[in-house]
Amino acid sequence: MNREEAPGKSPEEMYIQQKVRVLLMLKKMGSNLTQSEEAFLRNYAGVVHSQMSQLPQHPIDQGAEDVVMAFSRSETEDRRQ
Amino acid sequence: MAMQMSESEGTVKVQEWQQTYYAGDSGIQSGATTVRDDDGSDYSTKKYTVTTTVIENPADVESQYALTRAQRVRAAMYPETVVEGMTILSTQTDLGQQTNVQRLAEPSQLLKTAIIHLINYQDDAELATRAIPELTKLLNDDDQLVVNKAAMIVNQLTRKDASRRVLMQSPQMVAAVVRTMQNTNDMETARCTASILHNLSHQREGLLAIFKSGGIPALVRMLSSPMESVLFYAITTLHNLLLHQEGAKMAVRLADGLQRMVPLLKKSNPKFLAITTDCLQLLSYGNQESKLIILANGGPEGLVHIMRNYNYEKLLWTTSRVLKVLSVCPSNKPAIVEAGGMQALGKHLTGSSQRLMQNCLWTLRNLSDAATKQDGLDGLLQVLVSQLGSDDVNMLTCATGILSNLTCNNSRNKALVTQSNGVEALIHAVLRAGEKEDVAEPAVCALRHLTSRHPDAELAQNAVRHHYGIPAIVKLLNQPFYWPVVKATVGLVRNLALCPDNQGPLRDAGAIPRLVNLLLKAHQDAQRHATSSTQQTYQDGVRMEEIVEGCTGALHIMARDPINRSEIASMQTIPLFVQLLYSPIENVKRVSAGVLCELALDKQSAEIIDAEGASAPLMELLHSSNEGIATYAAAVLFRISEDKNSDYRKRVSVELTHSLFKHDPVAWEMAHNTVSMEPGYGPEDLDVQYAPYGYAPEMPMNGAPIDGDMHDEYPQDMGFDTLHRPYNEY
Repeated sequence: MNREEAPGKSPEEMYIQQKVRVLLMLKKMGSNLTQSEEAFLRNYAGVVHSQMSQLPQHPIDQGAEDVVMAFSRSETEDRRQ
Repeated sequence: MAMQMSESEGTVKVQEWQQTYYAGDSGIQSGATTVRDDDGSDYSTKKYTVTTTVIENPADVESQYALTRAQRVRAAMYPETVVEGMTILSTQTDLGQQTNVQRLAEPSQLLKTAIIHLINYQDDAELATRAIPELTKLLNDDDQLVVNKAAMIVNQLTRKDASRRVLMQSPQMVAAVVRTMQNTNDMETARCTASILHNLSHQREGLLAIFKSGGIPALVRMLSSPMESVLFYAITTLHNLLLHQEGAKMAVRLADGLQRMVPLLKKSNPKFLAITTDCLQLLSYGNQESKLIILANGGPEGLVHIMRNYNYEKLLWTTSRVLKVLSVCPSNKPAIVEAGGMQALGKHLTGSSQRLMQNCLWTLRNLSDAATKQDGLDGLLQVLVSQLGSDDVNMLTCATGILSNLTCNNSRNKALVTQSNGVEALIHAVLRAGEKEDVAEPAVCALRHLTSRHPDAELAQNAVRHHYGIPAIVKLLNQPFYWPVVKATVGLVRNLALCPDNQGPLRDAGAIPRLVNLLLKAHQDAQRHATSSTQQTYQDGVRMEEIVEGCTGALHIMARDPINRSEIASMQTIPLFVQLLYSPIENVKRVSAGVLCELALDKQSAEIIDAEGASAPLMELLHSSNEGIATYAAAVLFRISEDKNSDYRKRVSVELTHSLFKHDPVAWEMAHNTVSMEPGYGPEDLDVQYAPYGYAPEMPMNGAPIDGDMHDEYPQDMGFDTLHRPYNEY
């Protein structure tokens, strides 16, 4: 969670900010939002706008990780083929 | 038969020709020679004059024949002794029927020749035996001219079988030759002596004699000779020793043979290089130290250079065998790749030599995990995709394995393979693989790589569906379970589910019950093992925790679809997902929080999640350093508190904020100092009507002061949910 905010914000401001970030992160990760969550974002459009630049800029891929396979465990011999 | 036909035709032609102006017999068919008649005025051709004498008395005829019999036999066996123009009585009355003497002519010639050879052999052997002591002495002479002449004679003797055998039976002679070879400054002497050893090396007895006389170190030294012929003799003799003489490999290694051989890879004679590379293979197979010596002397670069620049099949084959041996060495592998080995080996996958192609494929497969960041592999990738159509199981095993690794974390390679119809080809490979896991596993892994983490991933996800791959892939989740294939397949299913159009087909193929059953089985296995020992459980080399993570991750993405979401929840999976929140494995926490986040979109599921006591572990997960985990945890908490009363929601808000400030004491202090004491905090929906300012003084609960004492209300290790569910750690 982003805690590096300018000092002076009230707890409720922090809460809204964090919730907006949570919802924006969910969207970035491809998750669905409820209707009330979508409405919350519309209500706090200004916070949404400021939080967008705080999100990680790289895509957050939800696919499975790529894994190499180690094949060279032993030599295969074909002495005089 | 053809020769007989041509002989008959030839005879006819000669006869025809004889009717022409030139009436004489040239002897082309009969073997007759030209004979001048008595007055010298005319010439005719005759080999023998066949005289038919009419005698009235039969006894006289018989005696005539007896007189000429010896002549006929001698003429048959020793035609060179027949005087020209001599008349020998012939008993052949029918031209189509040879006489016994005529029939025996050729076999008797052969026998005569064999006897002559035997006589010569004996002579050669006796000569060599008599000459050896003297020749040995001469080889040790101080006069280099004498040594040179002696070497030449011995070299001549080694060219004949009999004398060669005698020489190799003389340890003193062989030792003298070895000594002369390594001590001489004369090039011709060096050549002769190297040739002698080369000739001796064609028999086992000769090899043993060379070995026992210290020939190997001497021959290794000759590998530095500036004379090409000496080099050739030395490497060929060493090759014969390595092939057939026990102990030779160790002796060559001890004599620093590898250090001398590797630089010879720069030579340009293909046949010489073929022998040299075969020596390297013989020395390095199964010997790690030898492989490291080859590496230290620039072996990978030299071998790759050959693969890139030569066309002689035998050389390419022997070189590919050395590379195959080196490709299992962790130190050589990156060096071969850096030298351009992948590209060079890839050049030989479409030629006519099956053995070369197979060696290159195995080597490429071994190298592939070290080549994931290599450039310039476009051509190789396209060839490999085309090879996926093969029925040869070795080719399929290699092609799928190489493709799997080269598409790992490489966007460019993924895009190229996708655009080259790789998806379709891999699906067909999966279908043809059947129970051959060495093909199925890498093929599925390759599909998994193609379907995520690159710009064309969506193209690949759709291509799987278009080419009817979904049912075949889901079938891989059936029993009997081969866990590496299962693990790869659940990852692929997860990727396929990222495409909304695949959600329905995956569901129709029965992916959800299969994933849930696998998850349950793997979880039970892991739990059972965790209670019995501290060792992690592996099956077919796969940890059950990996299957738990993979299945939950696939269900997480599938739960994005509302119908799938409902089906997943209906299989009583929520309690298990909540339990997985307690896993010590971060990835398992992430995927279980993720699937609960999706399931919580449905009110009914949200209630079940709450009833299962998910709040406590979710509160803990708010503190996770992994933002994805914390995000999912927060989202689930929001969703399960939506229909709760305001007090509950306030508590959630406080805990969220508390948790959010937990690692930021300065901000927490600032927040405390700016809190207003305005009354009237209402029970309205916290989310929608929460005011940006004027945080209610009742928060936290019961009017407690907003300071550190608040912590007493909410024990840090428990949160406020009393349904703490202990979880057996893996």
